Amino acid sequence: MDFALSEEQLMFRDQVLKFAKNEIVSRVQEHDIRGEFDWQSWKKLGEFGILGLHFPEEFGGSGADVLTSVIAAEALGEAGVDGGLTLSYGAHTYLCADTIYSHGTDVQRRTYIPKLASGEWVGCMGLTEPGAGSDVASLRTRAELKGDRWILNGTKMFITNGPIADLAVIYARVGTDTGHQGISAFIVEKGSPGFSAGRTLNKMGVRTSQTSELILDNCEIPRENLLGMEGAGFLMAMQTVEWDRSTLLAPFVGAISFLISRCCRYSQEREQFGRPIAGFQATKHKIADMKIFLEAARSLVYRIAWCKDQGRPLNHLEAAVAKLFIGDWSLGPANDAMLLHGGYGYCHEYDVERIFRDSRLAPIGGGTSDIQKVLISRLM
Amino acid sequence: MDFDWTSREKQLKARVAGIFDKIAIEEVDTLGDNALPELKSITTRFQRRLAEVGYFSLGIGPASGMEALQLAAVQEELARVSASLFVAVETTARLFGGLLAGFADAASVQDITDELSLGNLIAGVALSEAEANAPDDRSVTAKADAADFIINGQKTFCTNAPIADIIAVQGTVNGSQAFFLVEAGHPGLSIGPRLHTVGYDGLAVAGITLNLVRVPRNRVLGPFEAGASVRFLCRTQDMILTMASVGLTQRVLKSSKSYAQSHIRGGRPVFRFQEVRFKLAEMETLFQTAELLAFRAAWLYTSNDPEAATVLHSAKVFCAESAERVASLAMQIMAGPGYVRGNLVESGYRDAKFAQLAGTTSEVARMAIADDLLNRYRV
Repeated sequence: MDFALSEEQLMFRDQVLKFAKNEIVSRVQEHDIRGEFDWQSWKKLGEFGILGLHFPEEFGGSGADVLTSVIAAEALGEAGVDGGLTLSYGAHTYLCADTIYSHGTDVQRRTYIPKLASGEWVGCMGLTEPGAGSDVASLRTRAELKGDRWILNGTKMFITNGPIADLAVIYARVGTDTGHQGISAFIVEKGSPGFSAGRTLNKMGVRTSQTSELILDNCEIPRENLLGMEGAGFLMAMQTVEWDRSTLLAPFVGAISFLISRCCRYSQEREQFGRPIAGFQATKHKIADMKIFLEAARSLVYRIAWCKDQGRPLNHLEAAVAKLFIGDWSLGPANDAMLLHGGYGYCHEYDVERIFRDSRLAPIGGGTSDIQKVLISRLM
Repeated sequence: MDFDWTSREKQLKARVAGIFDKIAIEEVDTLGDNALPELKSITTRFQRRLAEVGYFSLGIGPASGMEALQLAAVQEELARVSASLFVAVETTARLFGGLLAGFADAASVQDITDELSLGNLIAGVALSEAEANAPDDRSVTAKADAADFIINGQKTFCTNAPIADIIAVQGTVNGSQAFFLVEAGHPGLSIGPRLHTVGYDGLAVAGITLNLVRVPRNRVLGPFEAGASVRFLCRTQDMILTMASVGLTQRVLKSSKSYAQSHIRGGRPVFRFQEVRFKLAEMETLFQTAELLAFRAAWLYTSNDPEAATVLHSAKVFCAESAERVASLAMQIMAGPGYVRGNLVESGYRDAKFAQLAGTTSEVARMAIADDLLNRYRV
């Protein structure tokens, strides 16, 4: 066992931190309050190479391993980048682009990955439905092959990047099989007949990510837009979910580092009863608990990334453990950071308030904590 | 980065685990039922078997930081079998043995270290005092005459004291610190009654009194400044308690899961009920998280990382508090049978509290963690 990061990984982490602090963080609060996507930051993420980090260079990526991608995602959170932007990046790069890269034909890869890796196009994934959230197998969206076109009908819900996406990976049921094996995946481009996004949802947190319904009303796509094997969609979705429970969790872990630095500085400057509040044991207790969470959570996320780098395709138990721990236990440090800032922490102007709202998604998105418990108890 | 054990680490773990067959496990499960002579005999017997597989030659002393992760790997194997035996053995091997390795003149204590390496000796380290817990605030004092040091004072909460062959007693000489090696039965040394503790039934703990105890100069470590030896002992003790918590967590998790799979209610195993499954899922999550954090803390010492102390404090707090939570959930799953004396969950529940208040307490650890961070982000 060895927990060491390579020199290259440590250097890259520092580069991402510096880049994010210099190029992105100054716009975070403003966009979060307005609930707007930050296109300028998106473009910069693409230029820096974050959006295609783990894809081969021939597809516009950097050929990084999964662990390096996780380290970069964590560094974004540590720099103070909001959970909305990192969620958009995660949904785009891993839930959409990686699914195409992992299961697509050579033509599909060459058509879409370079545009997604550069950020020229925004991608999303449509799995959840109004009536099919945690119970993925109950999804109702249907796909029917008519001649050389697939016709898709159904509605997808809570789709990150939905309103701004140029491309969606859509999961739909084909044929009469009502179980897992009846699910297939499709690539649906913006502008396809019958494809539209609903209104942007007004969310509590991760507000700069744009979330909506996706409506497929006799949506027509070419026959060759089937992604992977027909009927293999459920397995693809499950592999995708692992990204949800590793790389997409990393910014939440990074955000705790950010909170620690914020709270340490604030508590040394803020005086009550004639002395900095950093001198009170209750303050120190909160700061210590943030650190304890950070140290506990980080290795869980790194472990999944490492497993993926070893070519271990499914690491559901490790992923569910990480998701449950970070989802449920991160709320404590986020809450403590807000409490430590008192009334200021309750105001939109303070980033601890935003992180408190952002972190509330961790036990919900990508499979709720209850679902993780179901999985863990099944696999343990 | 590598989350798999190396073949060497796997081999070491397997050797330790191999000692504990069904008969051995039954013996350590009832360790607390024995009177002191039997407890001493059983503990010594297991020490000898552990010594045969190399348990007493790994990670001994402050210069052995490189072996910290390997050590944690094998410590987990013993800790998951018995918290009491684990702490007893570790007190001898890593606390007492480490003190000798790091702070004694090797030639003067060669006879002791030879016996230690074979597992033949049970040892204690007497640090705590009733009225003073700060390292530089000690009532045990020594004065030197031509041949010996003569020591007086009292120590409390000395692990292994009632069954120890030898105890390293911390004291002061003209304001400097020293450790005096006092053998059992030495004139002037009296061992107090074995303390009745909430948990750790198989661990013998007592206070000791030293009344004009003469210790020859070649049996004295020091005098020296307090810093290095106390830091070593605190760090070693915290790592032991961290691994004790990880082992305990694993043991009660396994026990309650097995119960949940075999105990039938409403015509099906209680494991099938979501309330039980969700508890087990939380327990598994806490176990995996605690285990990884403990190993990472150990690894930081192998690389001499400046954050090692803070991460070890973090690991100790997390692992100790998780152990208590997991033990509580385990007992809830077992309900009535879990509340009756004589099962691993019941003893685990009582044992779990210890690591929070022993060594660096959770409160002191949290203050140390925060102080480190506040220093790092100084305004």
